[in-house]
Amino acid sequence: MAPVNISNVQKRFGAVNVIHGIDIDIKDGEFVALVGPSGCGKSTLLRMIAGLEELTDGEIRIGAREVSNLPARDRDIAMVFQNYALYPHMTVKDNMGFALKLKKVSAEETKVKVDRAASILGLESLMDRYPRQLSGGQRQRVAMGRALVRDPQVFLFDEPLSNLDAKLRVQMRGEIKALHQRIGTTTIYVTHDQVEAMTMADKIVVLHDGVIEQVGAPLDLYDRPANLFVAGFIGSPAMNFIHGRVEEGVFRTLNGLTLPLPAAANPATLGGRELVCGIRPEHIRAVTSGGIEGRVELVEGTGSEIYAKLACRGDEIACLFRERLDVRFGDTIQIAIDPDSMHLFDAETGRRL
Amino acid sequence: MVSVSMENTSAGTRGAKRSKPARLAPNYWPFVIPALVVISAVIVFPWVFTLWMSAHRWTLGQEQSFIGLENYIRLAGDGRFWESLWHTLIYTVLSVVAPLFLGTLAALVFDAEFPMRGFLRGVFVMPMMATPVAIALVWTMMFHPQLGVLNYLLSFIGIGPLEWIYNQSTVIPSLVLVETWQWTPLVMLIVLGGLAAVPREPYESAEIDGANAWQKFRYLTMPMIAPFLMIAVIIRSIDAVKSFDIIYAMTQGGPGTASETINIYLYNTSFAYYDIGYGSAMAVVFFIAIIALSFVLLMVRQRANWSEMEER
Repeated sequence: MAPVNISNVQKRFGAVNVIHGIDIDIKDGEFVALVGPSGCGKSTLLRMIAGLEELTDGEIRIGAREVSNLPARDRDIAMVFQNYALYPHMTVKDNMGFALKLKKVSAEETKVKVDRAASILGLESLMDRYPRQLSGGQRQRVAMGRALVRDPQVFLFDEPLSNLDAKLRVQMRGEIKALHQRIGTTTIYVTHDQVEAMTMADKIVVLHDGVIEQVGAPLDLYDRPANLFVAGFIGSPAMNFIHGRVEEGVFRTLNGLTLPLPAAANPATLGGRELVCGIRPEHIRAVTSGGIEGRVELVEGTGSEIYAKLACRGDEIACLFRERLDVRFGDTIQIAIDPDSMHLFDAETGRRL
Repeated sequence: MVSVSMENTSAGTRGAKRSKPARLAPNYWPFVIPALVVISAVIVFPWVFTLWMSAHRWTLGQEQSFIGLENYIRLAGDGRFWESLWHTLIYTVLSVVAPLFLGTLAALVFDAEFPMRGFLRGVFVMPMMATPVAIALVWTMMFHPQLGVLNYLLSFIGIGPLEWIYNQSTVIPSLVLVETWQWTPLVMLIVLGGLAAVPREPYESAEIDGANAWQKFRYLTMPMIAPFLMIAVIIRSIDAVKSFDIIYAMTQGGPGTASETINIYLYNTSFAYYDIGYGSAMAVVFFIAIIALSFVLLMVRQRANWSEMEER
């Protein structure tokens, strides 16, 4: 286990600057998720930490060592790849023991370590199989087992669950989290799936176009997104954004809808400029009277919740109702929004107000 | 195909007739006969005729007489046959190993990115396209002890003139040199194809697992291209074992019988001494040997094929 310090790391591919001076401090034993949309630079950053990509500028330290110019094999890290990257011609046992074989660890010690990792991951019955004889989930476990036997200072995961089906993804998510809680090794986990990041990480780093948009604990990002990008990225279904202005102590949308202001908001400082009001769909309730009227444009029920899109005077508002409602396409219903769950952003800068 | 499947279906419903083998519908034969005729004419007939000839004493221009296995018994005691078999073995092993080693090396070089790679690869494969007899003529001139360019080049590094194909001890290595020059590009192309098919991700895993360049080659590249190397070995072995044109054009099996392979001996027996019956017996034995070799190589190839391991 070791802390990881990333200082002013930059990466350029030719004239294209993909990482613009990133600083992250990762504590010893912390589980950090790098999250962002495709092309945001999260995998490139992880590969730079791994030593598979060179840094254009900046510094990476693992523990007390500066590793920026060290080859991957000298960094004492283990990585689990998106496509598993198992050795196709080796059995599960050989895949897991390969790193130890290279280190010339004795056969007995290798067997003990491989067997221990196999037992943690439930791979005992698959040890003599080849990767092609395994299912996606089993391959993923082997990839984790291979990392586990190394007993590295840092685990790196590069979108390890994205090739699995939805059910297996949820199961593996739990297993990775449980594994981290059990062994406590510093872990850096790249994903584009914010649910994975929210459920697994101690700390989330949201990346966009090669810059950090926000760093924080999952609930901090959910409760107090620093800008429109983070607000839209974190949370599922995505937050509603409604453009408008603060007028006469209320938030009036461009289409004339009136919403109350949060108690903490100061109308005097917010007036006169275009704002964006962010409302999470799950913070909207259905009411029988005195609410905002909206026509149901879409209804999706999953049993545990109902997702609906309403047209409210020209503004489209997505809602997530936990209660069973009898709503159908074309119905007109009323909704209420708790003012304190609303988020206000500057429309021009996108920053939280 | 349709007729067969219909027959199977109807056989299933008839029940009592199920034990009888399914027969082809009469209208199936017009489609089969052309292929049968061609196969019979170009494969079955020559082989049956060769077997028939091998059981006869038959010298061209004379009456043939049935002698049973006498030609085969004569073969077993023929020192020149065993010598030619030995020459064939040495020639084959060297003509497989040398192009395999050099071709793999060349493939690793051409797999890397460097300027003018495409052009140089094109130049490298050119020997493969040349006619064997033309190659034989050029190399015969190059091998000439007095006038050949090879001895001239060797003189620069202080090595005295060699007799190349004109000496009994150097003739087979010299012929292998020509074979290697011509067929290394084929091995290179096969291995290059193999390298292109090798997944790149495991190399990153290996890098993180602590492998250096040699360990990556030893533990990843070699096992992963092994199926392709085996294909190269099979193609080269079958090709080298029945090599005739270059040897005949350059040495006719000489000096003496120093480069006489089975093919050359067989040819000389049949078409120089006109002993067709004995030559046929040799052809039959040689054919069986090649089939056996092919089976062994195909079995080895199957074992080396990691991409099909789940099927075993």
